[in-house]
Amino acid sequence: MAAAANGPRRPPLHRPSQGSASASRRCGGPGAALPLPSAAAGAAMASYTKAAQQWATFARAWYLLDAKMQPPGKIAAATVMRLEGRHKPIYHALSDCGDHVVIINTRHIAFSGNKWEQKVYSSHTGYPGGFKQVTATQLHLKDPTAIVKLTVYRMLPKNLQRRTMMQRLHLFPDDVIPEDIQNNLLQEIPQPRVVPRRLDEYTPEEIAAFPKVWIPPKDFRRR
Amino acid sequence: PAAMATRLLLAASRRLLAGAGAGAGARPGLRFRMLSPPEKKRWLRAYLEQQRSEQPNWDYHAEIQAFSHRLHENFSLDLLKTAFVNSCYIESEEARRRELGLDEGSVALNLQDNSKLAEQGMSFSRAYLLRCFEGAYPDLPAKGVEALVDFLTSQELVSYVAQNLSIQDLTLCKEFPVPPDVLQRTFFAVIGALLDSSGPEKTGIFVRDFFIPQLIGKDLFEIWEVVNPMGLLVEELTKRNISSPEPRITRQLGVSTVLPLYFVGLYCDKKIIAEGPGETLLAAEEEAARVALRKLYGYTENRRPWDYSKPKQGLAAEKAISSN
Repeated sequence: MAAAANGPRRPPLHRPSQGSASASRRCGGPGAALPLPSAAAGAAMASYTKAAQQWATFARAWYLLDAKMQPPGKIAAATVMRLEGRHKPIYHALSDCGDHVVIINTRHIAFSGNKWEQKVYSSHTGYPGGFKQVTATQLHLKDPTAIVKLTVYRMLPKNLQRRTMMQRLHLFPDDVIPEDIQNNLLQEIPQPRVVPRRLDEYTPEEIAAFPKVWIPPKDFRRR
Repeated sequence: PAAMATRLLLAASRRLLAGAGAGAGARPGLRFRMLSPPEKKRWLRAYLEQQRSEQPNWDYHAEIQAFSHRLHENFSLDLLKTAFVNSCYIESEEARRRELGLDEGSVALNLQDNSKLAEQGMSFSRAYLLRCFEGAYPDLPAKGVEALVDFLTSQELVSYVAQNLSIQDLTLCKEFPVPPDVLQRTFFAVIGALLDSSGPEKTGIFVRDFFIPQLIGKDLFEIWEVVNPMGLLVEELTKRNISSPEPRITRQLGVSTVLPLYFVGLYCDKKIIAEGPGETLLAAEEEAARVALRKLYGYTENRRPWDYSKPKQGLAAEKAISSN
């Protein structure tokens, strides 16, 4: 990965548009959905030796997804696509063609609405009186990766392949990734939600340049 | 006589097996009826795998005419008949006649060999195919063109084409089934006969129509074995005055797993010329060198397919020179 060789592994976190642009630039053109456009698009595109072409087509890819300020549902939707292998033209449910996905910053996911207080995660220990219900906030404080993990698990197809696909999902609450996983990564999946900028992230020039609906006079009294 | 002998043998074997069945205590009548058709054909195979010329309803002259007609070519029939006669057949026939006790006068067969026609056909085919490839792939070096022509005139390919044109039925040969080198020789002899009958243009079209499609789906380096593609690439680039390539990793995947994938790109003067995937960095670099060579020689997968529409021009003069 060219970015890995240079220095910082990804573009800065609060620029999702730049992140998605760099991800699509790295994909190399219109085939942004495919990880390896020249390999998976078939032999007509590039004249590889047959063995090399096959190796490249069936190689298992490693993707990175930054979950900062992202809704866990959308994160899970993108992840499940890659884990199943549906983004590949060679997809078949029984082909075991899924890829690895590494999700970072799961501690900083963002539920919309009041879900942090209202969403309830239930479980039962199996013993009488063992029914536990916790809100999303409580669960997140206890285990910062649990929400994303449960969301992905529930979105995967309910078959025996689900456990294998969950083994290929790697969740990290913060920015820190072990070195060998970092070396395996191929590409970043673009973030599903465009994160809006906070007021303090705008420069004073941009604020001044922003058009005002009306300018109040100096003696205007606001109650 | 051979057919009659086999029929007697079959009858005898059936009676033997019937006896064995009765001896074993199983009901012999049911035994044969119980066997499914593939099982029954096991002992019929000895009869079915015979030469077509030894099976009934065989008229050699009619078959030769039909062969010529089937290929839409005008063969002179005696040249064609000579083309199918192999030297091993003549020797075996003479030996058989000598064994049967005929005198020396009638032992000698008045049949000519196909060796001269075979040589003619082989040299014509090679020269024609060499010219075809030199015209179609001008950047391909002589060794590559030679490798392509060697592949197309190799024993396996020619015998495969010959078998599918039913030449093994018409060949007169000592052994059955006809070995591939005999088939190759006979096919080239047929081409030589066509050359003498119809001339170089038609023979050229014939060779083109039956040999060039065998290259479909084949990659250049499957046919031409190149041990050091990187060295060859550097030579080619120095011939074209381009700086030597610099390999760089374009993408890599799963480095710490047991199934890594590396894409190595070759850059000349900071511009990419080829990219190739591989299991290890060395394999990827070699693959990139091969892709670059394919691009340089114009033998990529997306090259224009072979043009079969018009016959090759300028053939007659060169053929006249090469045949003499």
